[in-house]
Amino acid sequence: MSIITVFVMASFTVPEKIGAEPQSMLWLLPLAAAIAVVYKVTKLPTITAGNFIKEAAILFGSIVVFIIAVALVLYASAWLITE
Amino acid sequence: MPRYSKENKAIFLLVVGLLGWVVPGAGYFVLGEKKRAIIVFTAIILTFCLGLYIGSIGVIDLFGTSAIYVKVAQVMNPPVAIVLGHYTVGGNYPVYGWPNEIGQVYTMISGLLNLLCIVNAVYLAHLYRTEMAGG
Repeated sequence: MSIITVFVMASFTVPEKIGAEPQSMLWLLPLAAAIAVVYKVTKLPTITAGNFIKEAAILFGSIVVFIIAVALVLYASAWLITE
Repeated sequence: MPRYSKENKAIFLLVVGLLGWVVPGAGYFVLGEKKRAIIVFTAIILTFCLGLYIGSIGVIDLFGTSAIYVKVAQVMNPPVAIVLGHYTVGGNYPVYGWPNEIGQVYTMISGLLNLLCIVNAVYLAHLYRTEMAGG
């Protein structure tokens, strides 16, 4: 087994270091992209590159905007309760 | 135009569903939807692998103390998830905190997306067979 193979396999046996920081929220972006892509694959009647990318990007943007809106509402609620 | 019996149709739908579970996108591939198959395969495998990379294979806890909804969602991934579940029995790969939660979310979502694609592929297969049978 080559060193590269061992290195790649080893990276899947030890968790990454992720703290409870605001930047950790960025891990939602790849997940939102995957959801948008797979959902649009199941919904579009025909898959053409331009149309598919456009539709998936719109859905991805909608998800992110909605999450930001929810985060702002929760932040405002927490601020009102604690102040 | 060929006619298909109900038994043949049921077997075909079952095959499409099983193939879609074993290899994400294979259900679409059988139906000739190659673009859909490639996109689904890439998206689901990348999501699953990213979950394993973030939290290690320890996030697949099929025979441990994880909540039942986590296990059910992770089982919807290809059978490699079950194989990994056997390796992680007994807490050989401990993972806690955010890496565990994020890794679990990624592997659960990839499983649920695979389930969505299986259901959609079986539905498409049903439609194709109905059209072929002139129904």
